[in-house]
Amino acid sequence: MDESILFVVLLAAPAAGAAISLVPRDGVEILASLLSSAAAVLVSLLLFTSNASGTFGFFYSDGLTRIMAITISSVFFTSVAYSWFYVRRINEPLIRFRWYYSLLDLFAFTMLLAVTVNDLGFVWIAIEATTVTSALLVALERERTSVEAAWRYTLIVSAGLVASLLSVIFVYFSQGTLLISVLTGGQIQAGLLVPLAVGFALVGYGTKAGIAPMHAWLPDAHSEAPSPVSAMFSGILLPTSIYALVRTFNLLQGLASFEVMQNLLIGFGIFTALLAAVIMGYQRNYKRMLAYSSMENMGIILVGFALGGVGAIGAAIQIVAHAFAKSSAFYGAGNILVAYESKSMAEVQGVVSRLKYSGYLFTLSCLAVTGAPPFGVFVGEFMIIAQAMSTGNLTLTLLLAGVYTYGFIGLNRQSVRMIFGASPSSMDTPEEESGKSGKIPERENWVSVAIPLANLLVALLIGVYMIPLLLQAAQGIVP
Amino acid sequence: MIFSASLLEEVAGLLGILVILSALYLQSQTFVDPTIRAVAAQSLLLGGLFVVLFLESGVVDLLYLAVITAAVRGILIPMVMLYQVRRFKHSLRETGTGQRVPSLVIVGVVMVIGGYALFKTALLPTLSNPSVSVPFVLILLSFLLIVTRRNALSQMSGFLEEENAVLYAGALIAPTIPLLIEFAVVLDVLGVVLVGVILSATRDVLRTLEEPELEQLSG
Repeated sequence: MDESILFVVLLAAPAAGAAISLVPRDGVEILASLLSSAAAVLVSLLLFTSNASGTFGFFYSDGLTRIMAITISSVFFTSVAYSWFYVRRINEPLIRFRWYYSLLDLFAFTMLLAVTVNDLGFVWIAIEATTVTSALLVALERERTSVEAAWRYTLIVSAGLVASLLSVIFVYFSQGTLLISVLTGGQIQAGLLVPLAVGFALVGYGTKAGIAPMHAWLPDAHSEAPSPVSAMFSGILLPTSIYALVRTFNLLQGLASFEVMQNLLIGFGIFTALLAAVIMGYQRNYKRMLAYSSMENMGIILVGFALGGVGAIGAAIQIVAHAFAKSSAFYGAGNILVAYESKSMAEVQGVVSRLKYSGYLFTLSCLAVTGAPPFGVFVGEFMIIAQAMSTGNLTLTLLLAGVYTYGFIGLNRQSVRMIFGASPSSMDTPEEESGKSGKIPERENWVSVAIPLANLLVALLIGVYMIPLLLQAAQGIVP
Repeated sequence: MIFSASLLEEVAGLLGILVILSALYLQSQTFVDPTIRAVAAQSLLLGGLFVVLFLESGVVDLLYLAVITAAVRGILIPMVMLYQVRRFKHSLRETGTGQRVPSLVIVGVVMVIGGYALFKTALLPTLSNPSVSVPFVLILLSFLLIVTRRNALSQMSGFLEEENAVLYAGALIAPTIPLLIEFAVVLDVLGVVLVGVILSATRDVLRTLEEPELEQLSG
């Protein structure tokens, strides 16, 4: 089979979904988006199993491309499905629901384009386009906080991404091409411009990936966006930006300046992870807490890619496992938000007595994203710390161990307290009077439980069953 | 050639200085309306500069870039932004930053001098084109504008100035990749339309809610 057709279909599916979603007939938008996202999952699975490598016309594929494509399309599919449950509860949306689904499809399209295109310039354009397609999704709930968060997201990310456009210009000026296939396979011209390009890419794509100190937009946008959008931001948008950064960073392989820039990336990565791990434990808003957890994971993933070897493979595995586990956590958070109408952990206590399944799912998802075995994130984190140890960098090893431990305790202490703690109303008022905020068990919508459960199971399967498959796919990530 | 190379070089230098002066003028404004007009003028200057660079180098892509820059960034985007200003009359003036404007202009001048010195020592040996110092300084000034303003449209003007700077740098460093830059320009328009909608919604909701609402976005 000609694999270039697969790439075309992979991109055509969400693009068609976006167009059909705008047809003004009830139900068309959800059906079109579901079918297009399911098609994207199917095609990315075919690409994954075909081991397609090399150039395919306008596209480029290697292990990282295939892993990113399947991750993006899977979280896209589950977010569309979860949207069916979640967004219809929004009373006065900023945009019509058919526009919501259309933008969701376009958002996925831009991310899939970023990870498959064979040109660093188009990678930049696609990543810039993710901002345009997703900003309105953040503001969907039409509250002042969500609109403000959308504004901050648009401004900070767009201003930051201009730096990565400079990076693209420097790459072109120094190498005379932007084709990833040529840059990966050919001889890179040494000089100051390549490390400079990596530096600007770190600032630009790092802003979009939530790398500190350019992360100011991230907790706001993640906490204020509707839960399916938060899941896409956290699970696939941040790794897509890391992907662009890694593609630029890999140009340095074999150059004298590699070590300096490697240390710079490791420094930014570990600083991000440390900062997020510390702040996470003190959050009062559970969606904001999950946002900081994403920042922590992106910091660790950046360290993994910068270390290279087993660390880079571990980072790729962590991208997939984190995407499934974190989207499950955000869907669980969405269920809690729908029931309690509050994001404050002080007002949401004893969840398990009211939302039994969502409570357990949220707790397990939090365990999964913080690297509890046997979930996939554990395997990724283990491989990254193993690589740090093998390079003899004791400081980095200890820092990583500290981040893993502190992040694990910080997030899970908070989530367990929220899910299993005593409900405030059950302490103050009789059970029969506790009403909406009390602990009367609710009948949960099966879709709202099945989707996070499915994603959590995949995160588990990655840890216990799919590692050989991912290891095979991830070979050759570092040129 | 109709124009001599030295004349074109001098005109390019003069336009570069005017671009920097427009950036300092932007910095000195407390009203939103002239800020937008200044960024429009800066984009038109940039369009003129690209025409001069086309005459110097003969790269036709620069001519396309000049037309797109003038039409989209110099006319269309400012028109959309001015429409927003007229629609929400209460947001005509920058709040909070007003008293600090004279100090900010001085900071801007210091940044121009410091930025040039930094460029000369750190980047000039590699880029070997002293003209790139102008967009380099322009990027620093645009960051200053973004971080010191509270009004959404003033911040947007800072973002447009930053993109102007990168367009300028791109045209000087790698004039043969404007296709990419043209795409960026198209995306800009999309972005501005989108931001316009968000701004409208912000203003609508702002009328009914109090400041403490935003305290949720901290920590």
